[in-house]
Amino acid sequence: MRAIFAIARKDLRLLLRDKGDVFFTFVFPVVIAILFGFVFGGGSNSGSKLELAVVRESESVLALGIEEDLANDAAFETTAFPTRDAAADAVRAGKVTAAVILPKSLDSGLEGLFSGQGIAIDAVVDPSRRAEAGLIQGKLNELAFRQFPKLFANPTEMSRAFSAARSSIASARGMSPTQKLLGAGMITAAESFTSSIGDEDASANASGGGGGANNAAGNTADFTPIRVKVEELAPRAGRPRASFDVTFPQGIVWGLAGCFGAFASSLVTERARGTLDRLRLAPITAFHLISGKAIACLVAGLLVQTLVFAVAIIFFGSSVAQPAMLVIAAFAASFAFAGLAMALAAFCRTEAEANGAGRGAILILALIGGGTIPLFFMPPFLRTLSYGSPFRWAVAAIEGPFWRDTSVGEQIVPLIVLFAIGFLGWIIGARALWRPFAR
Amino acid sequence: MLALRDIRRRFGSTIAVDGLSLEVRTGEVFGLLGPNGAGKSTTIAIATGLLAPDAGSVDLLGLGSPSNPKVRMHLGLAPQEITLYAELTARENLRFFADLYGVSNARVRVDELLALVELDARANDRVATFSGGMKRRLNLAAALVHDPKLVLLDEPTAGVDPQSRNRILELVRRLAGEGKTVLYTTHYMEEAAKICDRVGIVDHGRMLDVGTVAELVARHGGQSAVTIERDGAEERIFTADPVAEVARQFARANSDRERGEVGREVTGLRIERPDLETVFLSLTGRSLRE
Ligand SMILES: Nc1ncnc2c1ncn2[C@@H]1O[C@H](COP(=O)(O)OP(=O)(O)O)[C@@H](O)[C@H]1O
Ligand SMILES: [Mg+2]
Repeated sequence: MRAIFAIARKDLRLLLRDKGDVFFTFVFPVVIAILFGFVFGGGSNSGSKLELAVVRESESVLALGIEEDLANDAAFETTAFPTRDAAADAVRAGKVTAAVILPKSLDSGLEGLFSGQGIAIDAVVDPSRRAEAGLIQGKLNELAFRQFPKLFANPTEMSRAFSAARSSIASARGMSPTQKLLGAGMITAAESFTSSIGDEDASANASGGGGGANNAAGNTADFTPIRVKVEELAPRAGRPRASFDVTFPQGIVWGLAGCFGAFASSLVTERARGTLDRLRLAPITAFHLISGKAIACLVAGLLVQTLVFAVAIIFFGSSVAQPAMLVIAAFAASFAFAGLAMALAAFCRTEAEANGAGRGAILILALIGGGTIPLFFMPPFLRTLSYGSPFRWAVAAIEGPFWRDTSVGEQIVPLIVLFAIGFLGWIIGARALWRPFAR
Repeated sequence: MLALRDIRRRFGSTIAVDGLSLEVRTGEVFGLLGPNGAGKSTTIAIATGLLAPDAGSVDLLGLGSPSNPKVRMHLGLAPQEITLYAELTARENLRFFADLYGVSNARVRVDELLALVELDARANDRVATFSGGMKRRLNLAAALVHDPKLVLLDEPTAGVDPQSRNRILELVRRLAGEGKTVLYTTHYMEEAAKICDRVGIVDHGRMLDVGTVAELVARHGGQSAVTIERDGAEERIFTADPVAEVARQFARANSDRERGEVGREVTGLRIERPDLETVFLSLTGRSLRE
């Protein structure tokens, strides 16, 4: 047992002390996952525009105005949706980045503004698109403000607003009769003023008018004229919520590739430099050596996967559909790649071979196995080819419990394939490594 | 301690070891002296059980072949190559091998060994940062973690500066002083002459002769050469007893002077005793140094 752990500890130390190995095992996969996530995320939207679902529940001038401005805004590509639910589904499916709801409450127009409630707009976003949510929120605020001049220039809207303001002053409890009189006087003055000006200067008055009403309503402190309420969808499994769901398993594959390349080349180094002979002289068996290396490979593989998933969950709002199955898949993938490392080491005689041909082979397997192009984007012949790559099976095993939420029956196949690859690799590698002792 | 009998091993068409026998006695430092490619390393690999001989037998301590792990426990090997992990520190390397051998009190043992090879000051530095001599010393220490009875050192001074070489030679003598048996290979005859109790001369995979340095020289060294210089002219005389020859020459010179014969004074004198180099030359017709 002590020998096994000594070997595992030694191999992990060697991995962590090689800057190149650390980079390709831990840093590169995360970078790849994020980079590809943005590439594919941007690619599915037209250009750099954010796709918005717009649900207009109000027929008011305000609602119509915001809808029109959203449609004309260069940053957005809008699609009208009939209901909130339909829009939320589109967000979940990743068809649009967010849904904007212009609620019924906008019917009250400026009255809401002057009565101190402000204007409420709802937005629904996917939790994995928090970065875009901030942008959308800011944009909605800006657009809503832009409606004010139009509204102030609109006589019917204005008279409705002023009468609403008058009645709110009249009913305000905290005001003395003098203040009420003053307030009413200000409103009348503002009314005659706004009706005498054109569109151009209206915006200058917007804040003045708003401010007056604001004071009149007597709750200066927490009044925000426009409230954009952003709601995050509860994650629903079964579909990639964002391109990151697809690219993080890819990142894991690169991490496993990096770590398996590192182990293969360290094994070849041990053999080429004669260190392995020292191990063979020690009172240990092939079983000890292989178990030690297996533990190191497994630990490294699990470390990579934990790291990549942690980044996905913490920074990209991913969530895991089936945590227990994911742990099993992570084990299977690590095991398979540990076996591959052993087999690769068996085929490479020299360190140069391991670092050249060996790593080249890994690269090709990763490429055809969905390491760069996600499987479902692949042309059919490439997809067929991908069955020959262990990377494809690792991606399949990980995606299932991660976001596909597939049934156990569907997940069993990639798991079996991974374990088979692992066993085969171990056997081939172990036989080549551990020449029997002289009789 | 260790007995190899009629060992043969070939690699393809190369015959690396060709019917070699040797016996290392308990407590001695046995030197295997031969040029590069003589088959020393192959012999060592067979002696440790790492390599199977095509023919012949190996016995360690009367227990049988070291291919048996229980037998193998009694030997420690410092291979010709530096077989250490360059990215681990000196301490981590020794600790790793100690753990493999299940050494009890590994921490103490590792500290002892670091002190023995004078690397305690650099114990926590990576081997990659070490000089050739330091790597050699650590390579040797790693052979000792489990306190084996027989230590096999394959060219332990290859590629080190003279100062480090002397330190390693002292270390080997010290191991012998502590009761270890040492099998030592080298292609430097000075080393073999300096530290080995007995030396075996190998060439082309064959053991040409075995004995103490004095015995080998007596058997194969031939006569000493006495070179006498008179007025710039040199005369070389081969003799079994160079001191007597020198005395004879001086006596002659004295009597010449007494007889008034001048101009025949001895102006220089050199004695060349045969050494292992001469032995090798007479055994193979070639020089060890190439
Ligand atoms: N693994 C091997 N494969 C092929 N030839 C080898 C191998 N090991 C040694 N030889 C050959 O066997 C001969 C003896 O080599 P070796 O035992 O290393 O000599 P030495 O240690 O005395 O320098 C050399 O000709 C060498 O080339
Ligand atoms: Mg050699």
